[in-house]
Amino acid sequence: MDRDQLYTVVGGRGTMTVFEIYIKTTPERLWEAITDEEMRRKYSFGVGTSSDWTPGSEYRSGVPGVIDIASGENLVVDPPRRLVQSFKALWSEDVEREGTSRVTWEIEPVGDSCRLAVTHDQLSETANSELYGGWPMILSGLKTLLETGEQLTTPGSLRYSGAADSA
Amino acid sequence: MDEVFKALADPTRRSLLDELFKQDGQTLSALEERLPMSRFGVMKHLKVLEEAGLITTRKRGREKLHFLNPVPIRLVHDRWVSKYAEPWASALSQLKDEIEEDE
Repeated sequence: MDRDQLYTVVGGRGTMTVFEIYIKTTPERLWEAITDEEMRRKYSFGVGTSSDWTPGSEYRSGVPGVIDIASGENLVVDPPRRLVQSFKALWSEDVEREGTSRVTWEIEPVGDSCRLAVTHDQLSETANSELYGGWPMILSGLKTLLETGEQLTTPGSLRYSGAADSA
Repeated sequence: MDEVFKALADPTRRSLLDELFKQDGQTLSALEERLPMSRFGVMKHLKVLEEAGLITTRKRGREKLHFLNPVPIRLVHDRWVSKYAEPWASALSQLKDEIEEDE
């Protein structure tokens, strides 16, 4: 399969953003980091994501009792290669009004590493950049976690970690 | 990371990133119109940017669309800037919270 076939075919409408990163890890570990609630918390602003990860299942991202971040459906679950999710942002009234978009995670092994592509599309033409603006920080934190076992301490990167304790 | 700095060291390539920052997902033809340069020249610069991971491409029908990929720049930031920015950023976000509470 060549690179172009692997990737999502671009729809004709709306805003689409694409983020790519190379991470020195296996597809299995990368898949685990994306779908494990506790691992997810370590690189996603301190926010965990829970689901049973079966096709058609729901997922929820947030800090229980503190903030809801997003919810949606797992449209395609093909471990450890491809995860397609509908995405409804919930962290503010402004982003809630944006409705439902789509997030596609694609993992491709390259030598001793993986290329991870996150495509956030089906956004409106005038989509609030908050919806997709967090991806570079999340992916950078994911790379750091998998390659070093450490968490990033970049400003904001663990915004909600410990929030449940202090709230 | 060498490739990122090499790619960013050229003003034409930075202009291409500026164009994608303004309007993401452009075709080669659209980018070519915005720069005083041959199609071949633009292609050459896009290739350097793509190899550095600063742009990614996707197909739409027969068109190839180019997208700005800011992740490598984020990695540069996280490596050197984050340590210095942290106390400032947290103080600023606290200030922002306080101001917004007063409104």
